[in-house]
Amino acid sequence: MRAVIRWFFLVLFSSVAVWGQQGDKGGSVATIRALEHEWAEGQSRNDTRVLDLIFDNALVYVEYGKLVSKGEYLARIKRENSELDQIAFEGVTVHIFGSTALATGTYCERELRSGKTEQRRWRFIDTWVYKKGSWVLVAAGSAPITR
Amino acid sequence: MRVFHLALAFLGIAVADAQIPNDFDAESKLMAMEHIEKVQVPRTRDVKVLDAMLDDGFLCVDVEGGLLNKTDVLAHLRAADSLEFIPNSMAVELQGDTAIVTGLYRIRGAGRGKPFVRRGRFVDTWLYRGGRWVAIASLSTPGGN
Repeated sequence: MRAVIRWFFLVLFSSVAVWGQQGDKGGSVATIRALEHEWAEGQSRNDTRVLDLIFDNALVYVEYGKLVSKGEYLARIKRENSELDQIAFEGVTVHIFGSTALATGTYCERELRSGKTEQRRWRFIDTWVYKKGSWVLVAAGSAPITR
Repeated sequence: MRVFHLALAFLGIAVADAQIPNDFDAESKLMAMEHIEKVQVPRTRDVKVLDAMLDDGFLCVDVEGGLLNKTDVLAHLRAADSLEFIPNSMAVELQGDTAIVTGLYRIRGAGRGKPFVRRGRFVDTWLYRGGRWVAIASLSTPGGN
């Protein structure tokens, strides 16, 4: 039941709250920040229904150097044991270019491998587009922070 | 009346110029711009050309996870000893006035007197603004399938 309520509020938030607010930069920034957060939350709960709403069908996603489609990414999330991996956001900055937006930031990924916890930091850059009354993710990728 | 028709024709051209080109034209234009940005500019080190191609709000995440703005990228171009960028397997995804270009790359260069070769994947975001495409974001990451 909680999942249904969350899903309902996400739909409401991503579409109704941004209705007619393309000129409202602050509102768009807050919406995209919230959607980035929902993406991380949805992934940690293996909630592909939420992710399906956030991602555009033609999503271009680069994961660990590989190009994956929306379907491939959702399939991986569905079968993955989310308790083994944890993602902690360290901050998101949103830049608005009319009906296109960039979100940049860093996150820390903790993975449990053979009883040991491995930790890696990544920097991401995501592209969002305002389509049919809501912001959707059209491209995303990250690079490991090595310097 | 002729003046009115001329004015309409002029207005038509002006409006058409501001419109997003059709998918085929946009794809070939973007492929050409990627070629200029990644292959020709590093060879000629023409900072002015790159300056015109990047939006002032341009952001780049480099292969080491660093965040660079337009000024940083132009400074990198000026400082590089030598750089050869070889892109391949490029694809364009159009989203209205936004385009995503993906591809693989190989870089051969020299920095601090030492030669290096790097391979990876890039994701570039372009925006159709003021009748032309400008780059607003670029990500480079190691690897590639």
